[in-house]
Amino acid sequence: MYRLALNMLFGDRAKLAMLLCGLAFSALLMAQQTSVFFGIMSWTYTPVHNIRAPIWVSDPMVEQANDAKPMRDTDLYRVRSVDGVAWAAPLHTSFLQARMQDGNFKLITMVGIDADTFAGAPAVLSQGRIEDLRLPNTVIVDEWGAQLMGRVTKGPDGKEVVIPLKVGDTFEVNDLEARIVGICKVRRAFTGGPFVYTTYDRTKLYTLGARRTLSFMLVEPQPGVDPAKLCARIEADTGLKAWTSETVIWSWSDLSLARNTFWWFWKNTGIPFSFGTAVALGLFVGIAVSGQTFYSFVLENLKYFAAIKAMGAGMGVIARMLLVQAFTAGLLGFGLGVGMAQAIGRAMIEKGMPPFVMFPQIFWATLALVLGISLVSAIIGIIKVSRVDAATVFRG
Amino acid sequence: MSTPAAHAVAVRTRGIDMFFGDGETKVTALKQADFEANRGELIMLVGPSGCGKTTLLSVIAGTLTPQTGTVEVFGQRLDGLSQEELTTFRRKHLGFVFQSFNLIPTLTVLENVMVPLLIQGTAQAVAVAKARAMLEKVGLKGREEGRPNALSGGQQQRVAIARALVHEPSLLICDEPTSALDKDTGAQIMQMVRDLSRSPERCVVVVTHDHRIFRFADRIAEMEDGRIRRVVEDASLLDTNHL
Ligand SMILES: Nc1ncnc2c1ncn2[C@@H]1O[C@H](COP(=O)(O)OP(=O)(O)OP(=O)(O)O)[C@@H](O)[C@H]1O
Ligand SMILES: [Mg+2]
Repeated sequence: MYRLALNMLFGDRAKLAMLLCGLAFSALLMAQQTSVFFGIMSWTYTPVHNIRAPIWVSDPMVEQANDAKPMRDTDLYRVRSVDGVAWAAPLHTSFLQARMQDGNFKLITMVGIDADTFAGAPAVLSQGRIEDLRLPNTVIVDEWGAQLMGRVTKGPDGKEVVIPLKVGDTFEVNDLEARIVGICKVRRAFTGGPFVYTTYDRTKLYTLGARRTLSFMLVEPQPGVDPAKLCARIEADTGLKAWTSETVIWSWSDLSLARNTFWWFWKNTGIPFSFGTAVALGLFVGIAVSGQTFYSFVLENLKYFAAIKAMGAGMGVIARMLLVQAFTAGLLGFGLGVGMAQAIGRAMIEKGMPPFVMFPQIFWATLALVLGISLVSAIIGIIKVSRVDAATVFRG
Repeated sequence: MSTPAAHAVAVRTRGIDMFFGDGETKVTALKQADFEANRGELIMLVGPSGCGKTTLLSVIAGTLTPQTGTVEVFGQRLDGLSQEELTTFRRKHLGFVFQSFNLIPTLTVLENVMVPLLIQGTAQAVAVAKARAMLEKVGLKGREEGRPNALSGGQQQRVAIARALVHEPSLLICDEPTSALDKDTGAQIMQMVRDLSRSPERCVVVVTHDHRIFRFADRIAEMEDGRIRRVVEDASLLDTNHL
């Protein structure tokens, strides 16, 4: 009978296509909206992502990764002396104005990394070498930033074109020259501005000799030392705050800087609400569309199920037939929808906009929702068939 | 002591009362309906619209349970059976032919005929073979893989007959089997029902308005206001104005 149930489902290609379109569309909508939402939200902890270090140490008042409360340079020595620390490197982050060749100003995120260890340096350079940062007045700009800071001119066809910055180009920060020696690939940040990497010591010049420039310390534990335990020891010994760097926002670990950053933005900004309404709308429309399409499929087949029932099929068999149909349609629709969402997401990542992060949780939640909707429709169908009386069968 | 006549009885109802709803909207469909059909017989149920033909048929088929009275089909009492037992009973002993065919449009002709066998749990290969043989009997060899909607009305009703008989039920129940068909096709269909079901182990009950097919009946039971008014052996004895 289950083969028949599937044949009933696949028998009418046009209706099946409609059904799958409805289910796929809603799966797409649900997965897409939530993925973009979490993509945007994941931009909040971009620093943790880009600057790969096992442990971050900050001022105790710091609540999240975009929040710099500078510490004293001497704090570095205190951290280095904590038992279990292999090394600790300074990190500077600040928002500064860059003056471009054409006189325009652009807001940048300056990242100062330790010139000896290059701890926190970008993983991938598409142009140049990281070592060239040791030359005077040099910086490395990220690809997206090179585009943002690029020169706008008119092309031969009159359209505006952007000529991105490249190695050798220069700009100024606080009247000090910055010469580009490399272009790197990093993830974009919530704040949107270009990342300009330089050495930690040079940031003191670019920030006009700010008294304190130590935003974070990057710490590597000695081999075999558990990062979470080391965090606790650093906090106890120095009174500073120590974070682990896993970018799992769903973890229960209160130590994760990424997780704390994510949820800080969740609680303290309007972003979840403004994007959340789009997500909720996507979910709502998705549930409505897929529920509606599957339900109408069930209704169309109601009289045939009633006939099958009259012919002596028990409700158990009919229920299982409906469930087989519902779950098959649900799975196919889900596969198509999430596949499309992935494809669209990929295409968008290529263009850099908007961000798209399909957490496994989104995948499973969408699957659960689509199957849940199919299940509910099937149950409604089962109830309807069980209530159908003989008169209906004979009248047809 | 059971008489030989009692053995000959295939279907017997006694004192059936059946009403729908209650209070203001209460409709009495059957009152004290006593009906009998014999083994090897094709009996027709006729009567004006709303007199309770379909309701009586449903009671005999075990798809409706009357408020009072007894129903006996091939020696099996249906009153007192649970829904589950009734379902099992229908599965084994009943074949249905509906007015609107009720073929499943998304299944092939062959698959439609296989349904009663698959409900019984017959193995796929056996079901295919039996359904093919049955379709050949109703003259639809070669149409097995087509869809019901590609067939004419008469052909569709032949598929329905194949489906109703493929599992060799004792009782064949037909509600208005010819009302969607033209005169000649209707006659062909009735001829087929009669030929295929002529057996002492079988009984056919046909509800119809269609006086053109009365001649296929062994006996005709005339219904009026929820009861059997009389049973005749010759259609010419019926008061046709009344129908
Ligand atoms: N499910 C139901 N709910 C309420 N009333 C019903 C139901 N089924 C039948 N009836 C009523 O019971 C009476 C008998 O109906 P039934 O369908 O048995 O008549 P019939 O003789 O088959 O009529 P027709 O020739 O029009 O098919 C009618 O008055 C009908 O309205
Ligand atoms: Mg009727």
